[in-house]
Amino acid sequence: MLVSKNRGTSLLRSSEKSSLLRFLALYFILVTMILSLLGIFYYQSQEKLMFSNQRVILSEYANQQVQALKHLHNNFPNHVTTYPRSDKYRSAIYDIEAKKIFSLLKYGDSEDIRFDKEIYRVGNTLHFLKTLDDYYLGTKYLFIEVDEDKTWYKETMSSILAFGTLTLIVLIIFGLFFVSIFLRPMRNSIMLLDNFIKDTTHELNTPISAILANVEMMDISSMSEKNKKRLSRINIAAKTVSHLYQDLTYLTLSHNRESKDEWIDMKKLIEDRVEYFAILASAKRITFKLDLKESAIFIDGVKIARVLDNLISNAIKYNKRNGKIYITLRKNYLQIKDTGIGIKSKKVQDIFERYTRFNTSEGGFGIGLNIVKSIIDEYKLQISVESVVDVGTTIRIDFTKGTLDG
Amino acid sequence: MVKKIILLGVVCSIVLGADEPKNIYEKNCIPCHRYTPASLDKLFMIYLKTYSGELSVKGAIKAFLKNPTEKDSLMNNTFIKNFSVKNKTALTDEELEEAIDIYWELYDVRKKLK
Repeated sequence: MLVSKNRGTSLLRSSEKSSLLRFLALYFILVTMILSLLGIFYYQSQEKLMFSNQRVILSEYANQQVQALKHLHNNFPNHVTTYPRSDKYRSAIYDIEAKKIFSLLKYGDSEDIRFDKEIYRVGNTLHFLKTLDDYYLGTKYLFIEVDEDKTWYKETMSSILAFGTLTLIVLIIFGLFFVSIFLRPMRNSIMLLDNFIKDTTHELNTPISAILANVEMMDISSMSEKNKKRLSRINIAAKTVSHLYQDLTYLTLSHNRESKDEWIDMKKLIEDRVEYFAILASAKRITFKLDLKESAIFIDGVKIARVLDNLISNAIKYNKRNGKIYITLRKNYLQIKDTGIGIKSKKVQDIFERYTRFNTSEGGFGIGLNIVKSIIDEYKLQISVESVVDVGTTIRIDFTKGTLDG
Repeated sequence: MVKKIILLGVVCSIVLGADEPKNIYEKNCIPCHRYTPASLDKLFMIYLKTYSGELSVKGAIKAFLKNPTEKDSLMNNTFIKNFSVKNKTALTDEELEEAIDIYWELYDVRKKLK
């Protein structure tokens, strides 16, 4: 049960996986956007608070400066001409026409000075503007400048990052939890199908083995032609069921076993499998055209046999009567070409999906090419499909360097 | 003797030269303000404190000199009671503006602040 449960979970269709990933990506983006907005609002509120606190301090500095300007004005120019300075702040004075009278500002250029805001940030300083009613020394606008204390900024950013990350993690956990709830019905249906196949498979083994063994043992020399044909049909039927049994067994049980990789003589294997399927092909008067060169790859024997069986079986199943199957083997690739019904171009990309069938008039579960793809992916081989409707389908497997002999 | 005559001549020319008005401001403003408590430097600061900018100050001075009234005067009541409001200027607009420009340049705080 544990095995089938794991398989149910891991064997989501790629389209379902991409839907799931899309949902998670959308959820993540939305959550991040909401958290970013909250972060921005929090930052702005903290900035306002900082400005509010600074306004009180700078206003006090401005009052001190006004008093100093008043004193200077009353004693100007005979007794004092030195502009009042402070260690705590820098200042500048402008007249009613916004012309500079005197400035000690670090950021005192015309583009840095704003007459429309009471408090604002320039570079790493804060500017505070006080408008005077008595224009001492002609001063209408008094600017007070202090270096900005960045403590609030560091504290605010730390809080945003800490709370933002924590909230994001919590929301992602929630998201995954919700996804698992949404996916449960889909997983259950896949698990149900897997369990059904697994249970059915167990019941198929013994009778198929018995039929095939007995067909092989029968003495056909003493049979009439009519009985020979009947026996041949039994053989075909049994082999078809046996092929299906092999796929189902692989899917439900063998797939989880450890791979036993070894050098496989592909030419010999193809000849064996062609001979095995010869009786099925002959039923539709399909002929094999073999063009095989020596090639060996390092792979699990059972798995490469499943690949070959499924490709040959499909080539027979979806071929026309009197059709041909061309099998070409070269050192670094295998190609199986049929003269069958073909597949519509927009459906080519879906043929490796589990439970997908080229055409519902043919039997089968639609698991063969899914098995092929899983094995191809496991060994990082490359598979390509070219198909033209009513002309045929060509499937090519390129062996990668790691699997090739030499 | 010759030396004494030359020295006397130099001193006289310096003294007479110093008193001789050089421009329209010195000719028309200083002579009166020299004898009133409203010194020109204090008056400038009063104007500056009231009107702030160069254009505003110059405009206010010009308007007042062309039509001096008690209402527009920046001097306090005691001063006006004792010295009354000044007479209208006899200068033309151009002469007045020239004199005010010289006055501004003379007392401009931008040049004196350090």
